[in-house]
Amino acid sequence: MKVPRRSARQKNLQKDAEKEEAINLLEQKENTEEVVERSKDEETAVEEENFVESPVVSDDDDEDFSDDDGSLGESGSEDSHLSGEEDVFVSSDGEDSFDAKSDDVSGNGASGSGRDDTEHGKDDDAESDDSRTVVEESDSSEDEVDPRNTVGDVPLKWYKEEEHIGYDLAGKKIKKKERQDKLDSFLASVDDSKNWRKIYDEYNDEEVELTKEEVKVIKRLLKGKAPHADFDPYVPYVDWFSWDDSKHPLSSAPEPKRRFIPSKWESKKVVQYVRAIRKGLIKFDEKPKEEPSAYLLWGDDSSAIDRQGLAYIPAPKPKLPGHEESYNPSLEYIPTQEEINSYQLMFEEDRPKFIPKRFTSLRNVPAYEKAVNENFGRCLDLYLCPRARKKRINIDPESLKPKLPSRKDLRPYPTSCYLEYKGHKGPVVSISTESTGQWIASGSSDGTVRIWEVETGRCIKIWELGESVSHVSWNPLPERPILAVCMGEDVYLLNTGLGNAEEQKSLEELLRVETPSTPDDSDNDKTAVNWIQDDKHGGIRLKHFKTVSSVEWHLLIHLLSKKQTQRIPFKLHGLPVSTAFHPSRSAFFISTKKNIRVYDLLKQKLIKKLETGVREVSSIAIHPGGDNLIVGSKDGKLCWFDMDLSSQPYRVLNCHPKDINRVAFHRSYPLFASSSDDCTAYVFHGMVYSDLNQNPLIVPLEILRGHASENGRGVMDCKFHPRQPWLFTAGADSVIKLYCH
Amino acid sequence: MAEMDINGQVEEAARRVQVRFVTKLKPPFKAPPTSIAIPSNLTRLGLSSIVNNLLKAGKDDWNPEPFDFLIDGELVRMSLEEFLLAKGISAEKILEIEYIRAVAPRKQEEPSLHDDWVSAVDGSNSKFVLTGCYDGLGRIWKAAGSCTHLLEGHTGEVTSVCVVNPRVGQDGADQIVATASKDRTLRLWKFDADEPSDQIKRIRAYKILHGHNASVQSVAANPTGDMVCSGSWDCQIALWQASGSDTGDVVSVKKRKKDAEEEDPQVEEEAKSTLVGHTQCVSTVVWPQDEAIYSASWDHSIRRWDVELGKDSLSLYCDKVINCLDVGGEGSALIAAGGSDPILRIWDPRKPGTSAPVYQFSSHSSWISTCKWHEKSRFHLLSASYDGKVMLWDLRTAWPLAVIDTHNDKVLCADWWKGESVVSGGADSKLCISSDVCVL
Repeated sequence: MKVPRRSARQKNLQKDAEKEEAINLLEQKENTEEVVERSKDEETAVEEENFVESPVVSDDDDEDFSDDDGSLGESGSEDSHLSGEEDVFVSSDGEDSFDAKSDDVSGNGASGSGRDDTEHGKDDDAESDDSRTVVEESDSSEDEVDPRNTVGDVPLKWYKEEEHIGYDLAGKKIKKKERQDKLDSFLASVDDSKNWRKIYDEYNDEEVELTKEEVKVIKRLLKGKAPHADFDPYVPYVDWFSWDDSKHPLSSAPEPKRRFIPSKWESKKVVQYVRAIRKGLIKFDEKPKEEPSAYLLWGDDSSAIDRQGLAYIPAPKPKLPGHEESYNPSLEYIPTQEEINSYQLMFEEDRPKFIPKRFTSLRNVPAYEKAVNENFGRCLDLYLCPRARKKRINIDPESLKPKLPSRKDLRPYPTSCYLEYKGHKGPVVSISTESTGQWIASGSSDGTVRIWEVETGRCIKIWELGESVSHVSWNPLPERPILAVCMGEDVYLLNTGLGNAEEQKSLEELLRVETPSTPDDSDNDKTAVNWIQDDKHGGIRLKHFKTVSSVEWHLLIHLLSKKQTQRIPFKLHGLPVSTAFHPSRSAFFISTKKNIRVYDLLKQKLIKKLETGVREVSSIAIHPGGDNLIVGSKDGKLCWFDMDLSSQPYRVLNCHPKDINRVAFHRSYPLFASSSDDCTAYVFHGMVYSDLNQNPLIVPLEILRGHASENGRGVMDCKFHPRQPWLFTAGADSVIKLYCH
Repeated sequence: MAEMDINGQVEEAARRVQVRFVTKLKPPFKAPPTSIAIPSNLTRLGLSSIVNNLLKAGKDDWNPEPFDFLIDGELVRMSLEEFLLAKGISAEKILEIEYIRAVAPRKQEEPSLHDDWVSAVDGSNSKFVLTGCYDGLGRIWKAAGSCTHLLEGHTGEVTSVCVVNPRVGQDGADQIVATASKDRTLRLWKFDADEPSDQIKRIRAYKILHGHNASVQSVAANPTGDMVCSGSWDCQIALWQASGSDTGDVVSVKKRKKDAEEEDPQVEEEAKSTLVGHTQCVSTVVWPQDEAIYSASWDHSIRRWDVELGKDSLSLYCDKVINCLDVGGEGSALIAAGGSDPILRIWDPRKPGTSAPVYQFSSHSSWISTCKWHEKSRFHLLSASYDGKVMLWDLRTAWPLAVIDTHNDKVLCADWWKGESVVSGGADSKLCISSDVCVL
């Protein structure tokens, strides 16, 4: 606004060259007036430091508003100029514009027309120069002349003792003037008629002479009038604003701060806070409260709400639509057909989601093609359904099963029970089949050992041994039908009397203990076994020192013919649980609760140690081939060991819910079985191939049920018929069952 | 009249079939060969009552008699309508129904008690029943409850018995029987069946046959009665000379007991020959013809041995253990066998190219211990099982004709006796005789 105004004014001034004089005069007057004002300001600044700020602010505001007024007023003054009135004092608001005017005019004046007022001379010129620059700089009403002294607003008493009063702009010291003594100064003041107009400027250390106009202004101010004489405080009010037909306020200026009315209630609140702080109710701890870094993961959900673990992470804002999303983008956004084709080669994730299309008019834009789908998806959200159907792998569950041959192809195997052998009065603990399969022997905890005819289920022989039998075992040689029975600490060798006359004769000889052998034994403290003739039952009684848990027939360990016992020369860790002989080699298997050790009987050393990894081994059985071993455990697991493979189980079958009591292999059929306390016996197909590269095939075949539980015990023993695919099971319900194919 | 009655009862309910009852039975059972219309939903019982009514019409003092009915050689076991539908026989023509007397025991004799399980029975001689018992004794029964002879000598359980010369000794004298035992011997006994006796006569074997290495399971004699064969747990079949002391090497053994001097000298004899081939216990041997012995074994095979060559001329394989075997039926060629499962199988060895059984009867619920063909009939046989039942079978139907369950334990042996009785012994130590079976 100001620039065109100024240029217009300059034009005016150039036209009215005749008025130069008046303006020069005016300029001078102005300068002097300014000096007066400045000094006045300084005084007020020194005297009333408190009120330095507020007037400034109000001044600013005033100026903001007065600017408008000023422009109006100015135009008025311009008019007066044009009319050629000899008016010296223009309103103070027009200062800056007039300054610019004076700039040009003074230059002209200095070069061209001479001055009537020559007293001031050069000094005045320099002063006017100074003031001009100052005025130029200060656009605000803080119209202080940049002081020559640069010490700033410091108490001047600091420089009382100094020779200088401060520093000029170049940083050089400004020397104090020679101070006249009082008398001289008095005389000088008496002589000087203008003395009353002189003021000492302490700051700059100089005398300032006030002009007549300045004095006038001072006088007016003292009277409490406006400083300018022609200022009419009572100008009739012109309502420039047309109230009638304006719909919107003209000014969009923000609400001025002076309109702010402090709230009574807020101040009351502040007072409250202050009191609370004084009383110590509100504390400002320096230390921020330490947040517990760990929180209760499994605590209540309610407590989980106020933990600060996961903060809300706002989703990234989507890009705003640009030109390409327009319905009619310019041609450079439209991909060519080649580009569209090239999208197809890209990965689906890299492909652009949106391909710009051109429609000549908005009418041609089709409906959003995914509208139905997305609405449906949102409906799914409402129903708490998953939006995307998870793509399941389309695999036939049957194909995931291991390829096992069908049970039909693996026949024969025992399936149904047709025969029962009843007669025992207590749980049948152990059974053993004769090698031809005509007889079975059973030992029960009622203290009897019985021999049964397999075919008819008839009990043909009973021995009352009077003590709970723990294990029975037939001699595998058919021509020596001897039954070994172990009970407590004793092992009985019983003559079953099933052979013909000659065999019986040889058996009787075999089972006779020569009396001289007993003293030999008693001499030797180390023998673990005593051989004692038992006439009552027609057999031999072997006295052990420890409880015998199981007995297994082989040709060697108890040398029947020599009536001697070979002590196993190995140290065992833990109690032996079950033993077995290798079917073809002279190896001996002993299982403790955890491990199974294989010993070579000829070399008398450990061959192998098998680690079962089960809780407690209950029984072991060896495949007739000799290279495979099954182990039943008390936690219901059945482990198959391939001895050539590793010392770890080849396969663990976790089939029984209760303890496995006995496992058994069939001698000729590829079958094995396990009997358990859950009153069932499981039959498996266990094919061992002669090809060493082929792993054994294990197929579960049948669960044989039928036994009743007695005191928590179920099927105590199971044995295969030596020649038929039949399984004998001995139950705690004192019944032996035969399962046939 | 009867016709009218039945018409009145069921006329509105069922279709009618024109039938004519024919029979091969003798006159008292012959009904007039007129054709009558009967409702088609009648079962065997209904048909039987019609025939009884017809017969009653001819004869006033008629005792009702159960009949069985044959249409085109098959026994009617369902309603007439269903039967015609199943067989595709037209109901338009006059249907010829042959009726026979129902095969079922009509009378149960008092059980003959033994001291132990009855393991074997033979009724091939109509004058007596021979039983073997687990107490090691053989017994001769003239009738139910009347034991005449006690065969003493075995030291083990008697497993099998057979009458060696059922036809030779028709007069009763010099009757020879053979017993096999678990003591690995067979014994031959001679007695006079016709000899009237008030008290039980104890007899001793005249011949002891040694040679088996294990329990002898079965014994059979050839039709002429001069040879005996036996099967044993030692997997062998041994042939023995049965007829008396005419053989050359007779070894007379001194009797151990001095006081029994009146006894005949006992002869010990070795086997004439052995047939080797079975790999397991030979459970049954049958010798129906002079030249062929049939044997069944626990190695799941049935073999026919040529006696002269000593080789097997036929082997049938079943996948089960076979406990019993009999040869009979049509042309005395059908082989019936039962074993370690409840199915009675019948093979026809004359059928070429197949070894599958031609009939399978599976009404039993446990092992089959015995099966026996009827001597005269082509169709009838009996089977005994460990489930305590004896069943009578007709090849013309898949259902048992009759079930005899007088035993309350395993039935170990059964046989026909006199052609019209069934004798059976079991683990309840009883010999039961069910008579009046009316086969033929």
